[in-house]
Amino acid sequence: MATEPIGLADAPTADPAASPGSDVVIETRNLSKIYRDFWGRRKVAALKSLDIEVRKGEIFGLLGPNGSGKSTTIKLILGLLFPTSGRVLVFDQDATETRKNERIGYLPEESYLYKFLTTDETLDFYGRLFDLSGAERKRRVDELVKLVGLEGARHRQLREYSKGMTRRVGLAQALINDPDLILLDEPTTGLDPLGTRDMKDLILSLRDQGKTILLCSHQLSDVQDVCDRVAILHQGELKELGRVSELLKVQDVTEVHARGLSDAAKAEISEVILRHGGTVDSIDNPTATMEELFLSIVRESERRPGARRVSVSDTASESPTAVATATGDDAASRDEGQS
Amino acid sequence: MTLQPEDFWSFGEWLLRPESFLESALLQGIVLVVLAVLLGLIIAYLVSAVRHGPGEGFYAVARSVRDLVRSDLPGTSSRRIFALAKLAYQEALRRRVLVVVGLFVVGLLFAGWYLDPRSSDPARLYISFVLTATNYLILLLALFISTFSLPADIKNRTIYTIVTKPVRATEIVLGRMLGFVAVGTLMLVPMGIASYFFVTRGLRHDHEVVEIDEVGDGRFEGKLSFDQFHDHSFTIEPSADPDGPELGLTDTVRGHRHVVRQIRGDDGNVERYVIGEPYGALRARVPVYGSLVFTDRAGNLTDEGIDVGNEKARGGYGAAGIARLVGVTREAQRLDYGYVEGGTLGSAIYTFNGVTPRRFTDEEGIPMEMALRAFRTIKGDIVSGLNGSITLRNPDKPQIESNPLTFVVQEYDVSEERLPREIEGTDGEVTRKLSLFDDLVTDDGRLEVIIRCIDRQQYLGMTTSAVYLRPAESSFAWNLTKSYLSIWLQMVMVIAFGVMFSTFLSGPVAMVATFACVLLGFTAEQIYDIRYYMDRGESMGGGPVESLVRLLRQDSMTTELDVDQVAGKVIQGVDAVIIYSLDAVATSLPNLPRMLSTAEYAASGFDIFGALLARHAVATFGYVLLAFLIGYFFLKTREIAA
Repeated sequence: MATEPIGLADAPTADPAASPGSDVVIETRNLSKIYRDFWGRRKVAALKSLDIEVRKGEIFGLLGPNGSGKSTTIKLILGLLFPTSGRVLVFDQDATETRKNERIGYLPEESYLYKFLTTDETLDFYGRLFDLSGAERKRRVDELVKLVGLEGARHRQLREYSKGMTRRVGLAQALINDPDLILLDEPTTGLDPLGTRDMKDLILSLRDQGKTILLCSHQLSDVQDVCDRVAILHQGELKELGRVSELLKVQDVTEVHARGLSDAAKAEISEVILRHGGTVDSIDNPTATMEELFLSIVRESERRPGARRVSVSDTASESPTAVATATGDDAASRDEGQS
Repeated sequence: MTLQPEDFWSFGEWLLRPESFLESALLQGIVLVVLAVLLGLIIAYLVSAVRHGPGEGFYAVARSVRDLVRSDLPGTSSRRIFALAKLAYQEALRRRVLVVVGLFVVGLLFAGWYLDPRSSDPARLYISFVLTATNYLILLLALFISTFSLPADIKNRTIYTIVTKPVRATEIVLGRMLGFVAVGTLMLVPMGIASYFFVTRGLRHDHEVVEIDEVGDGRFEGKLSFDQFHDHSFTIEPSADPDGPELGLTDTVRGHRHVVRQIRGDDGNVERYVIGEPYGALRARVPVYGSLVFTDRAGNLTDEGIDVGNEKARGGYGAAGIARLVGVTREAQRLDYGYVEGGTLGSAIYTFNGVTPRRFTDEEGIPMEMALRAFRTIKGDIVSGLNGSITLRNPDKPQIESNPLTFVVQEYDVSEERLPREIEGTDGEVTRKLSLFDDLVTDDGRLEVIIRCIDRQQYLGMTTSAVYLRPAESSFAWNLTKSYLSIWLQMVMVIAFGVMFSTFLSGPVAMVATFACVLLGFTAEQIYDIRYYMDRGESMGGGPVESLVRLLRQDSMTTELDVDQVAGKVIQGVDAVIIYSLDAVATSLPNLPRMLSTAEYAASGFDIFGALLARHAVATFGYVLLAFLIGYFFLKTREIAA
């Protein structure tokens, strides 16, 4: 997937009167949803009094385990569900208002697309639903097919596609109207690491074009990498809300990254730390993430096709940084498993 | 084919019924739409009041009405409807529904084996076979494609990507309907073309000359071979043009005749005979019906002829519309055959309008066709048939009357007579040659045709549609097309109902619901019948509950229900509720059998009236509108993701 900006100068822009000067794009007020069975009996309270605001130009993450109410929130925002109590405002309009959809792009959890259509037909169809003219549709479809990297498969029915390819078509249809607000439900499921990286880059580039993005995920690394702010839900309740950088900062741990240290030097540093009353948790060479390893393999293979990578130790030598982690008295490290 | 009073109504008459507005289709339509909307609003309010409380519930209902008028109807875009229609169309096609057309054609190939080749009217057999087969097949198909699509979309959540676009519920409902109508049309057209060829080819056959005699003056008489279970005899008249071919004509057997052409060699001797293809079997007669009154045996005018028994069939209530439902019209509205007694002053007097030389251009006279019935009280000469007479009379000057033209009644068949342009008759005391258009027809084009039975103690049966003038003949192909148009309208109706039900029911349930509607529409007349007897107090074994009780107790239908008095009241009360509700439902559903009856016109060789098609089209449009509104509200108020 290429990640060049897809901003369109002549794309239909939103009616400025619809959101007069406010930069709150989505606002939920005391939003609750109780699922009921056919007889109206209460089955489960999926969402309890949610109050969040998503502001213009940010990437907002909804985080939580399965069944925590993430998807319910997105469906309420889209008007696919009606709130039991409370309200959702999108661009200052009620969520059940159809016209708000003109400025929204939505990538569902799984790509619910018509399997009997080809990529071109699919995108053309969704373009028509936005009342785009023929020439406009053709231009958008060409751009998006290139953007999501499906040029070679434009005329194949979606039933022949792999999961990752369907996902790309799903993303393309979400962007067909050059939306101001993009809702992504588990955007990286079904994508390989390369696709995941591309997706993250795309999300960031969309943000850079001034679009607002709401994504929900349980892939914590995705959220950490791209989100500006997150809301963490559990059992339908909002547990935490704030900027990612602040939420993740471990106040009592200091991290030093240095290069070219000898063992003696490391021992000396430990001593200095101990002398200042700190404790040394570890002094070690950092391991790369699997993602980084995978990406470097793929990139190298693209550069020199056919050659096999020499040895694993090479990988380590590419990042010979030593990492020292020191903590204060309590040794709890909140970001364990994140690095 | 016996036409009923309502069949003679013009479009305007049907729509408005100036004399009895309660029977008007317009009123029925308006009442239906208003009732549906009111009922819908009340139910919607009750449901949302339970969900959100009385105040909020009212607000929710009001908002969805406001949305329809203010944003959804004006915001409906033809491009989106087209996109959704195309999607529905593609979906159906890629599910290979066109296979059904192939099956139909294969079915036709084998159908020839099962259609009785000995039938006296093969054209009727063939036409009614193809039309009925197509009709049921298309309705079944419409039922399947229309009811399963939307629920499937909701179930596999493809609908999520649709409703999160600026798509209105109006567009989803309309798009589906249009898409499926397009699919149905795509299937109906090849089926119609295949049917046309099946009928025309199926009736095609050949004969050979087996006997030929010259009877003098260059005339020939002969017989054709016995093929396809019949033979013909023919005559060849000498040709006016000495160089031209000698042409002859066979008699009419099984509704058709052949042209026989005599080919002479260079030496002037007859070389061979060429038998033409059958013609006259596939017709589309355009009839002009008159109004009918009778005279009794003493010559006094009456509205009805003699009832010879088993003629007063009940039925035809459906045409009464709201009037019947509210109990104003209780009598059956059916025309029956009335009989006139032979050898008395009894007669049937038909008055035809619009008899003008411009309309009836045939030099040999006005073609008049009769499908009369006979009733014998003595055996008589059974081979020669009954004798009748036709007398023409000027309605304004009854003293101008033609001499009777006699004819032999052909039972179970349509016989053709010609009313000659010049005819002997009496003008008061004077006997002279009368001109049809100058003496017998009035200035405004009216003509009386009086039909009597000549044989004593025998009776001749007639009804309004039994005798008609035939100014023109329409083409069979066009008539078949009109039959197919009628099938198309029925299909549109079923699709509309199917899509409507699929907006709030799951696929199989929506199918059953639509099927139930079609079935109730088909059995409407029987339900009206039961109601009719109930109203008259002539309980024929009672309603459903009473019948069940009688079954279990093994009681006869003719005895009084032998249960406790209170129990009896309860049973009859429950029955009344069931019958009246069924009656109301049946009245509000489209009367499909009446639409199906256009096939009967085509099969009997009559041109389908434009007014009849127009009535069906307007009724279909009305029901589509209703289904659209109901479908819209259900889809709009539905939680798609629930």
